[in-house]
Amino acid sequence: MISNDFKDGLIREIPNLRAFAASLSGSIQLADDLVQDTLLKAWGNSDKFEPGTSLRAWLFTILRNTYYSLYRKRGREVQDSEGTYAERMATQGNQESHLDLADFRKALAKLPEEQREVLIMVGATGLSYEEAADICGVAIGTIKSRVNRARTKLAELLSIGGVDDLGPDRTSTAAIQRARSETVGF
Amino acid sequence: MTNLEAAMADPGGDNDDFDMVLDPKVQESIGRSLKAHYDDIVNAPVPDKFLVLLAQLEATEQRAAGASPDDLK
Repeated sequence: MISNDFKDGLIREIPNLRAFAASLSGSIQLADDLVQDTLLKAWGNSDKFEPGTSLRAWLFTILRNTYYSLYRKRGREVQDSEGTYAERMATQGNQESHLDLADFRKALAKLPEEQREVLIMVGATGLSYEEAADICGVAIGTIKSRVNRARTKLAELLSIGGVDDLGPDRTSTAAIQRARSETVGF
Repeated sequence: MTNLEAAMADPGGDNDDFDMVLDPKVQESIGRSLKAHYDDIVNAPVPDKFLVLLAQLEATEQRAAGASPDDLK
């Protein structure tokens, strides 16, 4: 019997799963399919989750494996035919901070997958280097060097010389989300 | 190991700077952008279909649990 704790945990992690899936696939459309598959697999394999360990890390492992085995090719096709979510959003952003965010997303999409995934895990999701290493099945040193290379490459792509204020503009986030939902059927 | 990996991941590329240390201000700027990108999606409304899916899975399981074990033997 699946516990309410497990189900509540899944519900709590959905926003993070969507953000990780979108970062990985470069497509908002694919992200939700990927999250749905991840939830189904997690439910079916709930007995394999060890209580007390990180549910987020466990779910990210499932999502990542699903992505690499089933979605990677589809992701490229969607990006080729429709452009990445970054490009779509770039045309929707009309405020300066969102243009910055759109530029950042385009640069992020250009990173090799293995660098992008670890940069997101370590830099945005709150996972530790050790958890990222477990999820990717590599050594911690490898994670560190990938993160370093990802940062260096991003700085290069964004031509960051000084410090830019790239902070999010919360007031227009809702408008962007509405625009996005109209465009990709969120 | 990391050098080998760098060479394999970036064939023909310039690997000399792969462990270069970035200006802390640049790192900080990238860190903020990463969070802005990620949190923008985290804070987006979650489509109902995920909650519907979990409710369906739960209902299926409860039906199975209610109908199955010893009383059917």
